[in-house]
Amino acid sequence: MEFEVQENQANNSIQGIINLQPQVNQVQAQQQEIPIKQTDLQVSSTLEESVAVTLLRDLRQIGVKLRCVLVPTMSTDNAKELRNWDLWGPLVFCLMLALTLSLSGNNDDGPGIFATIFVLIWVGSFVVTLNAQLLGGKVSFFQSVCVLGYCVFPINLGALFTLFFSFFYLKMFLVIGCFLWSTYSAVGFMKLLIPEQKRILALYPVILFYLFLSWFALIV
Amino acid sequence: MEIGVQKQTQEEKQVQPEQFNKLDDSGDKKSTGYCGFLTVEYYTPYFNVTETDVIQRIQATFLPFRPDFLNITKDNPDLWGPIWINATLIFLITAIANLRQIDQEKENQQFDVGYVPQATALLYIIAFGTPAILAIVMKILGVDLSFFQTICLYGYSMSTLLPITILCYFQNELFLWLIIVYGVGNSILFLIFNLKEELDKLQIQKKYIIIGIVVIMQLSLYLFYKLVFFSYVSEGKVEAKVASSDSKIPGN
Repeated sequence: MEFEVQENQANNSIQGIINLQPQVNQVQAQQQEIPIKQTDLQVSSTLEESVAVTLLRDLRQIGVKLRCVLVPTMSTDNAKELRNWDLWGPLVFCLMLALTLSLSGNNDDGPGIFATIFVLIWVGSFVVTLNAQLLGGKVSFFQSVCVLGYCVFPINLGALFTLFFSFFYLKMFLVIGCFLWSTYSAVGFMKLLIPEQKRILALYPVILFYLFLSWFALIV
Repeated sequence: MEIGVQKQTQEEKQVQPEQFNKLDDSGDKKSTGYCGFLTVEYYTPYFNVTETDVIQRIQATFLPFRPDFLNITKDNPDLWGPIWINATLIFLITAIANLRQIDQEKENQQFDVGYVPQATALLYIIAFGTPAILAIVMKILGVDLSFFQTICLYGYSMSTLLPITILCYFQNELFLWLIIVYGVGNSILFLIFNLKEELDKLQIQKKYIIIGIVVIMQLSLYLFYKLVFFSYVSEGKVEAKVASSDSKIPGN
């Protein structure tokens, strides 16, 4: 009997505590209502959202970074945006360029060209970034690879345009313009991170990299 | 049983930190000893040059009779030069070979760029493997040059190939052979004059062995360069001739 009473009392007190807690939660939720709901939504939504929403969000981020990289105004917002590096953008542009050049009707060796361009872009970015690091620049590795990949986009545009035009000098003019645009953007970013005396030593590989890619875009 | 287990765990706890410390020490030693060359920090001292230094070094390769180069680079060998001079060479080979192909066909030109990966691999193997062999031979014979100094010397000697590649655009065979001979002479003189100080400390036979190796390597490099890298263009010439002769025959 005593045990039962004690159990009942314990149960009542426990239930009382349990009953109290929702009230406490409601109060807290009312005080911080909006943030809790948002964080809850974000935590559950990235797992439960549809693939289309995920892809669109990634594409939007790629678009934002692209605008930061290619409109070469070096504001602090641009710099902060670029610190959130991602490799989706470089992958998309690399694949687009390799596909464009390998599928254009002007060559026999489509798969070979695809492989050459793919390897050239990734190994080239790797080597150029490594060079900048070895020269003493305080460059985060993937951030630099990210920027170099995004700056391939004008060459991509150039390659697409050369598909439609056949006059050689017009193609050359377009590709030179795209090369200068890419190089200017990439150099604008890398310039800030290298010590003064070694700047050309770090920037020359960037120029060579985009020159090589533009040459492929023009020739193939 | 329980007490025994507890004691063991306490003993193990006392022993394990020491073991971890030992592992950490040996791991640190290994990372700086054997596998140090895989880290970035190992190579940073070899990039300690400025723009004016690099330009000065490249200028020194074109004036082989003034053996400044080894004096300049003795304390500060750099790897920037060898790597990026060779990269520029590959770009120039691709560009000039394609430009030579332009003159022959007019419509729907097909530029062959399939040789670029192989050319890259070959050039870098030559640029880094040959000085490695030379350095090993010199170490065996007792010359006091470090591995990186040899790579630096050899890499900068490849810069004589830069104007030669650009001049190879002109398709006169005699002219090509002339500039190749000039290139061979320049680079051999550059290498030998700069090694002279080190070589004079050796016996005569060893000196001539090394000079002989250098001469053979440079000759084979330039012959290889002429025959392989520009045969890509002469193949294009042969195909164009065959195509034009075929098109003539039905017309006739």
